[in-house]
Amino acid sequence: MAVNNCKDFVTHLEAWTEGERHPDAQVHLRDCAGCRSLAEDMDAIRTEALSWGAQESEPHPRVWTSLRTRLEQEGLIRLPEAEVAIPAARPSTENWLSSFFARIPRPALAGAYLSILIALGFALSGPVSKQTNEARWLEGTQIATSPLSAKLNSFEQNPIASDRDLNPAVTASLQQNLAIVDNYISLCEKSVQEEPQSEVARDYLYEAYQQKAELLAQIGERGENIQ
Amino acid sequence: MSTDHLAYTQGALKTHWKTAGLLVPGLLLCSAVSAGPIRHEQHFKVAAHPVVTIHNPEGLITVKAWTKAEVMIISMPASAEVEVDAEQMGNRVDVSTRALSDSVAPGDMRADFQINVPEDAELQIHNDAGSVNVANVLGDMNVETVAAGVDLEDTPGYLTVKTVGGSFQCVRCAGRIEVSSISGNFRLIDLKSAHVWAQTSTGNILFNGAFLPNGTYSLKNYSGVIEVRFSPADSFDMSATSLKGKVINEAKLTPSTHEHHFVPKWGNALFGTFNQGRAKVELTSFDGTINILKRD
Repeated sequence: MAVNNCKDFVTHLEAWTEGERHPDAQVHLRDCAGCRSLAEDMDAIRTEALSWGAQESEPHPRVWTSLRTRLEQEGLIRLPEAEVAIPAARPSTENWLSSFFARIPRPALAGAYLSILIALGFALSGPVSKQTNEARWLEGTQIATSPLSAKLNSFEQNPIASDRDLNPAVTASLQQNLAIVDNYISLCEKSVQEEPQSEVARDYLYEAYQQKAELLAQIGERGENIQ
Repeated sequence: MSTDHLAYTQGALKTHWKTAGLLVPGLLLCSAVSAGPIRHEQHFKVAAHPVVTIHNPEGLITVKAWTKAEVMIISMPASAEVEVDAEQMGNRVDVSTRALSDSVAPGDMRADFQINVPEDAELQIHNDAGSVNVANVLGDMNVETVAAGVDLEDTPGYLTVKTVGGSFQCVRCAGRIEVSSISGNFRLIDLKSAHVWAQTSTGNILFNGAFLPNGTYSLKNYSGVIEVRFSPADSFDMSATSLKGKVINEAKLTPSTHEHHFVPKWGNALFGTFNQGRAKVELTSFDGTINILKRD
C-alpha cells in the first residue's frame, strides 16, 4: 500500500505498529513530524504494553485484606466464627483464598479482583513507567548525541587556520555564529533534560548539532583552501 | 650677477614653482586614480539557459537580467594584486577571484561585480562577505554566503539560499524557495511562491505574501520572531508551535476537518483552518514568538 500523506499513514498505522515498515511509510515519516511523533508514541505504547505482559502481577497482600474487608462490609462474604474470635490465627493469603473461593459467587470475585488490579495497575505503574520512559528517552538522546558532541568538540579544538589567514569579516561571523550554536546546543540539552520525551526539544537539539557540524565543516574548508 | 639677470632668475624660479605647483597635484591625482579599483569588462556569447557561476571571497555582487544572449561581467578587484578570472566552458561562464601573490592580506581579497545575464540564466553564487543582489533573473539560483546579505527581486526560479549570518530578502519571488541560516533575518515580501521552506536559528522571519492553493509554507526558528501576514481572502491550514515562547494569532481559525494534527504535549500550539484551508502553513519556534497577523 502506498503511503503518500498523513491519511494514508493513519490507515497504515496498525500495520506499522505490528512491525511492518513499508518504504513509503518510512519516507513519509522522515518528512512529516506529526506522523513521526504518532509512530513514536505508538511504538512506545506497544513496548510498554509488552513489558507489562511480561511481568508477573502478584498483588500485594494488603490488596487482599482491603478486598476482603470491602466484601465483608457489603455482605457478600461472611467469616467463620473461629476466625472472628481468634484474630491471631489469620489465614495466610493462600488459605484465605481457598476459603474465599468457596464462599463467594465467582462473578463477584472476578469483577472485584479485576477492578482492583486495574486501579492498582494505573496507580502504581503510571508514575513508574513515566519515569522509566523519561529515563529511556534521555538515555536514547544521550546515546545519540554524546559521540557526536565529543567528535565536534575535538574537531573544534584543532586549530585549522590562524586568524591572519582568514578574512576578518568572515572569521568574525563564523566565530560569532559558532558561539550562537554552542549556546543553542546547551539550551536544547537543558530542555531535553527537563522534558526527555519532548520530540520538539529533541529535534531542535539534533538540528543544533547538525548546524555545528556544518559550521565546523565550513571553517575546515576555508582552512584547507588556505593551506 | 646683474639685476636684470637676477630679476630674470627670480622670474624663472617663480614660473617653475608655478609649474611645479600645478604638476605635483596633477601627478598625485593621476597616481590616486591609477591606485583605485581597476575595472574590467568582459562579454561572453551564450545560448539559451546558460549557467553562470561566481566564486568571490568578499564584495558587492549585482546581477541583472537583460534581453541580450550574452553575459557581461564588469569586475572591480580591490587591488592590483587581486585578479578576476572569467572563462566560458560551453554554455557555462565561470567567474572567480584569486590572489596574484602570497602577500595579499585576506581582507584585501575582494572584488565588486556588475553582471548582466540573459533572463533565463541559472546562477550559482558563492560570496562570503559583502552582499549579493539579483533582479529579474528567471532561472534557478543557488546562493551561499557567510556574512553577506542576499537580496533577490522578481526571481521566479527555484531558489536555494544558505547563509551563516547574512540576512535574506526576497521581493516578488515566485518559485520554490529554500533558505537557511544561523543568525540571518529573513524578509519574504509579496511572495507568490507555492513552496517556502525557511529556517534560521536566532533570526527573525517575516512572511508577507500570498498563500497559494496547495502551497506549503514551513517557517522555523529557534529564537526571534516569526511573523506571518494574512489577508481575508487567504485560505490555509495553520499549525503554529512555540515550545517555550508565545503564539499570537489574529486569524479566526476553525477546527481542521481534513488535516490530522497531533497536538504536542509541550509548548504553545495552535491548529486550525482559515477559509477552506487550501495551503498548508507550519510555523515552529523553540522560544521565539509567533505572530499571525492581519495584513494592513
